[in-house]
Parts: sequence; C-alpha cells; structure tokens
Amino acid sequence: MTSAAPAKRDLAPVALVDLLDRLLGTGVVVAGDVVVSLAGVDLVEIRLQLLVTSIRAEMAERRRAATR
Amino acid sequence: MTADDQSRARYLYAVCRGLERSAIEDVTALDGQPLDAVCHQDLVAVVSTVPLEEFGEEALRRNLEDLAWLEETVRVHDEVIRAVSNRAPTAPMRLATICFDDAAVRARLREWYVDLTHVLDRIEGCAEWSVKVVAEAAEPGPEDPTSAEVLNGADYLRRKKVEAERRAARDSSVAEAASRIHDALVLLAKASRILPAQDPRLSGHRGTMVLNAAYLVPDEEQEAFAALVARLCTGDDRVVVDSRGPWPPYSFAMLEPR
Repeated sequence: MTSAAPAKRDLAPVALVDLLDRLLGTGVVVAGDVVVSLAGVDLVEIRLQLLVTSIRAEMAERRRAATR
Repeated sequence: MTADDQSRARYLYAVCRGLERSAIEDVTALDGQPLDAVCHQDLVAVVSTVPLEEFGEEALRRNLEDLAWLEETVRVHDEVIRAVSNRAPTAPMRLATICFDDAAVRARLREWYVDLTHVLDRIEGCAEWSVKVVAEAAEPGPEDPTSAEVLNGADYLRRKKVEAERRAARDSSVAEAASRIHDALVLLAKASRILPAQDPRLSGHRGTMVLNAAYLVPDEEQEAFAALVARLCTGDDRVVVDSRGPWPPYSFAMLEPR
C-alpha cells in the first residue's frame, strides 16, 4: 500500500532535552534491535535509562556554567 | 552490507512506508556516511554504516556517557528523521539501534511487520506537538521565614498550617488548570502521551512543570490545534503554556510490548 506523497510539513526544531526524553526515555520510541545480537535488549535499555540520569546531571551542570 | 565485515554495523534510524530513494540521497548520516534503504515489502528501513569501534556494545557504553558525542549523535539522528518524515510515514527508532548487517535489519522488518504497520497507520498524516504547562514559581509568602524564631510555638504552628493550606490550594488549582488544558487538547489529537516533567535545570523554564505532554495531531487539525493552544494560554495567569511543533512523531512510534 503506497499512499500519495504527503504534503511536506515545515517541521519545527526539537530541543536537545526533548530529543533525549524521546530517544532515550522509557519505552517512548520503538525499542530497537539495539545491539540485540550483542547484548540483549533488556541490558541495553536498562543501561540507557541509567545513563539518562547521569547525562541530565551533566547537562544541568553545563547549563548552570553557561548562565553564570 | 553483508556480515563479512566484522568491524562495521548498520545503524537503524527509522522505518518508513513507501519511501522513495530520492528522499535519502542528499542526507549525510552518522560518520559522514550516506543513507541506505533496506526494504521488506512496503517497509523501508533507513540505515547507514557505522564503525563498531564507535557503536559496538563496549564503545556505546562509553560514548553514551560522553555528552558531546551524545549530542552530536542525537542531532544527526534527528536530522535523518526529519528528512524522511517529511516525505513518508515514518516510525523513528530509539537512539543507537544497531544491527549487524542488512540481513539482520530485514529480519527485524519481517518480525515487526504487523506492529510496524499499525504504528505507521497511526502516525500517517499526523505530526507531534509538545505542550508543557508550567506553574509560575510561588510568590514568597508575606511573612519572612527568618522571623519565625520570634514567634511563640502556637503562633508558629498556626502559621505553618496556613502556609500549608495555601500551598495545597495553589497546587490543586494549578493541577486543575493543567488537566483542563490537557482535556481540551486531547479532543483535537489522535493520540496523546504524558511524559515525565522535566527538570528546570535542563529545560530552563522557571517554576514547576505540571504537564509535559505530547499530542499526535492530524495535519488537517494543525491550525485548529495551534489556535486552541493559544486560546488556552490566555486567560489563565496561574500557568504558562509552552507549545512546540510540528515535530516528527517521536512519542507515538513505539511498538506495543508483547
């Protein structure tokens, strides 16, 4: 089934924090093959979630430094 | 790409339906590589080749903690998603979705075919809008808390009680404002998701985020949606509404767990 070419939209930019919410957040986007063949989805996903916490702390630190 | 090359893998950005090859011709992917298409029936996986020394399991563990690397990867991922979602129904994949080779990508498309079709049916002709509702930071109370020490115990407790009641009334009034906004927007949306509130240190907003929601809005309702948001923004000084869009349907492409 091929649909007619959809109208082009002018997509607005997405802020980094919103992208991280969506691309690393829990179960928000399609959980992929993510290194499935290497490690198993669960391990990788859990690690991503843990990572988000430390990344956010680092981002907050950087933002603070920038606004100083 | 075949499995012969042990040093490289395929990075999977998105699965589209009926994507024409011309849509990916001029897009530079990760590591400066071109985009490729891996097809299964009407589904098209948008992929590029990445070195495993950067995207293998060990390397990912290291690199995902490197904020500069993460930011760059997220940006390129987003650029690819935007390029293709302008041209065909697109289900974005999670960051760093790696397959060994094209055969592994095709196997995924086969395995997920029904689910991916449902996802693409849902998001076709729609875009995502983000709406955040933030309660202004509370006005400092009339009393200076440092003067508490001059009060006797009973007065102190009485004042604490008044403050707590005032805070509770304010919280529930703000929550009521947020749910009024959400309830109104849901009517124009095909789907919605409530995301965790963001830390003000990251998003830069002032006050307390009481709603961080994503709405899947049909193209023909975009204007009405934007107008409704604008209307909901005005006339409520308890909260500030921050609306962004249209975005690729990042929040609406997850496969239902089975």
